[in-house]
Amino acid sequence: MSHTPTSPSRRSVIPRGRRWVAGLAVAVAGSLLLAACGESTTGGPATDLEKASPDDKVTLTWWTGQDDSSEVYIDKLVDQFEAEHPNVTIKATPGSATTDDLLGQLSASFAGGTYPDISYAYGSWASELADSGRTLDLTDTIAGDEDVSWDEFSEAARATAAPGGKTIGFPAVVDNLAVVYNKELLADAGLDEPSPDWTWDDFRDYAKAMTGDGVYGTNLSVSGGEDTTWRLWPLLWQNGGEILDDDQTAAAFDSPEGEAALETLRAMAVDDKSVYLDQTDEKYGPLFRENRIGMMVTGPWEIYDTVKAGIDYGVQQLPGTDGDHTTVSGPDLWVLYDHQDANRAYWSYELIAWLTQNDQDAQFNLALGNLPLRSSAVDTPAFATFKEEYPGAEVFVANQENATIPRPTVAGYVGLSSAVGRSVAEVLQGATSVEDALAEAAEKADNALKDAAQ
Amino acid sequence: MARSATVAVPEDASTATGAGRRTQRRSEQLAGMAFVAPAVIVIVGLGIFPAAWATLLALQKWNGFSEPRFVGADNFERMSRDTDLVAAAWHTLLYTGLFMPVSVVGGLLLAAALNRRIRFMGLYRTAIFVPYVASAAVTGLLANFVFNPEVGVVNNVFRVLGLPQQGWLEDPSQAMVVLVIMSLWGQLGFVTVIYLAALQDVDTACLEAAEVDGASASQRFRHITVPQVAPATAFVVIWQTIQCIQLFDLVYTTTRGGPIGATTTLVYYLWEQAFRQLSFGYGSAIAWVLFVVTMVMTLVLVAIQRRRGGEQPA
Repeated sequence: MSHTPTSPSRRSVIPRGRRWVAGLAVAVAGSLLLAACGESTTGGPATDLEKASPDDKVTLTWWTGQDDSSEVYIDKLVDQFEAEHPNVTIKATPGSATTDDLLGQLSASFAGGTYPDISYAYGSWASELADSGRTLDLTDTIAGDEDVSWDEFSEAARATAAPGGKTIGFPAVVDNLAVVYNKELLADAGLDEPSPDWTWDDFRDYAKAMTGDGVYGTNLSVSGGEDTTWRLWPLLWQNGGEILDDDQTAAAFDSPEGEAALETLRAMAVDDKSVYLDQTDEKYGPLFRENRIGMMVTGPWEIYDTVKAGIDYGVQQLPGTDGDHTTVSGPDLWVLYDHQDANRAYWSYELIAWLTQNDQDAQFNLALGNLPLRSSAVDTPAFATFKEEYPGAEVFVANQENATIPRPTVAGYVGLSSAVGRSVAEVLQGATSVEDALAEAAEKADNALKDAAQ
Repeated sequence: MARSATVAVPEDASTATGAGRRTQRRSEQLAGMAFVAPAVIVIVGLGIFPAAWATLLALQKWNGFSEPRFVGADNFERMSRDTDLVAAAWHTLLYTGLFMPVSVVGGLLLAAALNRRIRFMGLYRTAIFVPYVASAAVTGLLANFVFNPEVGVVNNVFRVLGLPQQGWLEDPSQAMVVLVIMSLWGQLGFVTVIYLAALQDVDTACLEAAEVDGASASQRFRHITVPQVAPATAFVVIWQTIQCIQLFDLVYTTTRGGPIGATTTLVYYLWEQAFRQLSFGYGSAIAWVLFVVTMVMTLVLVAIQRRRGGEQPA
C-alpha cells in the first residue's frame, strides 16, 4: 500500500529476522537453483481471452501485496465475486511479508513456475515485469471493451500500466504529492492558510516562520531512496527541466533547471534549517501528528492516520513556479500474468476490471483512505461520504490534474533514482554542493541507463 | 552375513575369504554411503550447487526477470571502477577496526572476571550471554529505541546531564559507532563463553608457582593466562573478523546503509545491488570477491598464529 518502491508509508516494514551466516552467494544462487529446476521457456504466444469458456471451473491465485488491515477489504470483495460467479475460486494472499518483498517473490516464482495470476506491483517494477515475458498483453482486450472506460484512469496511471506500449495490468492505487498543513501551528506562527496560487518562496517563508521550539516547518526525505528522489521531480518539472533526454537514454536533470530545483530545497534545509530531514521515511508522519512538523509534503496515505489522531489540518496543492503547480504521481498496479490458459486469463481480467469499477473501488481504495482510481468517482455518493470522512481528500483528487508528467518507465530508472536520491540526501545534509551532486548523479544515472539498455 | 559364511565353510577359506571381504567391503561401503547420503545431498544441494550457480551468475547480467546474458568478466571490471564499492569496503574496515579489538579484549576481561566462585555467578554469566541469543532484528529495534534522537533513552539521559543532543544513527559520523556499540552488546557474550572455556584449561600449577615466586595478579594474567588462551584468541579473532566482513542484519534493521551511505557495508552493498538494483550478476561477483578476501584473510591469520605460538589454532 505504498506509493514508491522504497518508502513504506502505511505498510509496516518491520523486517523478518535475517541471519546472514553463509553469505549472500548462496542466497543469490538459491534462486538460480530454482531457475534451473523450473520452466525454462517464457511462455508461447499471448493467451487469447476470446477463446475462454467462461462457465468452466477455474482457480485464480492473487498476490495482493496488502497488509493484514487492508487484506480484510480484499477478502470481502473476493467473497462477493465468488458469490456472483460460483465457478470461480480465488486464492487471495498478501504474497510476501511486505510490498517491497513482492518483487523478489515474483522473480523467484517465475523461476519456479509458481507465479500467480494477478499481483500487486509498484509502478516502477512495470518494465521488469513486462520484460519477463510472463505478463498478459491486455492492449487489444481493453481497446475492444467499452465497459472498462479506460480513459477514466489518469494519464500517468495508464502510461505506467503500459510499459513499452503494452498494457500489462490495471491501476491499483493512485496518489500524488501535496502539502498537508497543521492549522494550529500555522495560527501560532500568525500565518494565513496558504492559497492555491502560492509559490516556493511563500512555502519557504512559511516553513521558516513555523520553525522553532522543537517544531520543524516542513519535512524532506534523506533516505536516498525513491522517496527522496521523487520529491525533486515536481520542482524540476515546474522549472521546465526534464528527467531524461528525448531518446530516454541519458539523464537530463543536470541542467540549470535541475540546479534551481535542488537549490530551493537546499536553501531551506541547510540555510534556514526549517526542514525535518527524515532518514527513514517513516518518522515524519508520526512527528506531524505530534504537532512537531508544520507542513508535510506528502501523499493521501497520511490522511487516514492524521484524521485518527484528531489533528486540525488542511490540504493545499504544491507551491508553484511561475504559476505551474505540477506534481508527481506514483501509480501502483494490478499486473495480470499469462499461464497459457484462456479461462484463467479471462477471469483474471474480469476480476480486476470489476474491482476497479467505482462500486468496488469505494470498498477498497476509498475504504482505506486512498484516492479513487477513476475520475468519474467524484460524482458518486460514496465519494461524498469519503470527502466528509477525510477532509482535504478532494484537494488530492483535484491535484491529479497537476500530475501531467509520468515518471520514466525505462528499466534503468531504478539506478537513476538511487543515484539522484543519494545526491539529494548529500546536498540536504550540507555534505556537497548542488552542482557537484547533480553532476555526479547524472554520471551514475547515465551508466545505469546504459547498463539497463544493453 | 558374509562373515558367517566364511566361518561356516573353512575348507574354501582362501577364495571364500577373498570374495567375502569384497562383498563385506562393498556392503559396508553401501551402508556408509546410505548414512552419508542425506547430509551430502543437503550440502551439495544447498551449498555447493548454489555456489557453482553463483559463479555462473557472476559472469552474467541478469535482472531476475528477463533472460540472463553472458558478459564474461564485465562484472569484475565494473567493480574496479565502482567508487561506492570502495567506500563500502572502507566502512567495513572501519567497523572491523572498531569492533574486533574491543570484542576480543573485552571478552577476555569479562571471562576473567566471571571465572571465579562467588554468589550468583550463574546469573551474571547468563546475563552476559542473553544478548547473544537475541536476533539481529531485536538488536536493531532496540538500537532504534535507545538511540532515537527525539525520544531515545540516551538523548534523554544527555538532556538530564545537560550534555548536547546527538544525532546517533542519523548522524553520518556517529552511526557506525552506534552500530559497533550494539554489535558489542550482542556479541560479547559469545567471546566471553569461548574464553571461559579456555580459562578452565589454564595450568593452575603454573599459576600457583608464579604466585609463590612473587608474581602479581596482573603479571600472572599477562604472562601465563594470556599466552595459554592463545588458541582461543586465534579462533575468536578469525571468527569475529568473518562476522565483521559479513555485517548485514544490524545495518538492515537500523540505518539501511545511511545516513548518506555512512553505514553501507560490503554485504549490505551487494544485497542492495542484487535485490534493490536488480543487478544479480554484479551482486554475485561482489559476493565471490568477498569470499576470496575472507578466505585469504583467514589463512593469513592462521599462518600468523602458527608462527607466533607454534601451536595448532583451535
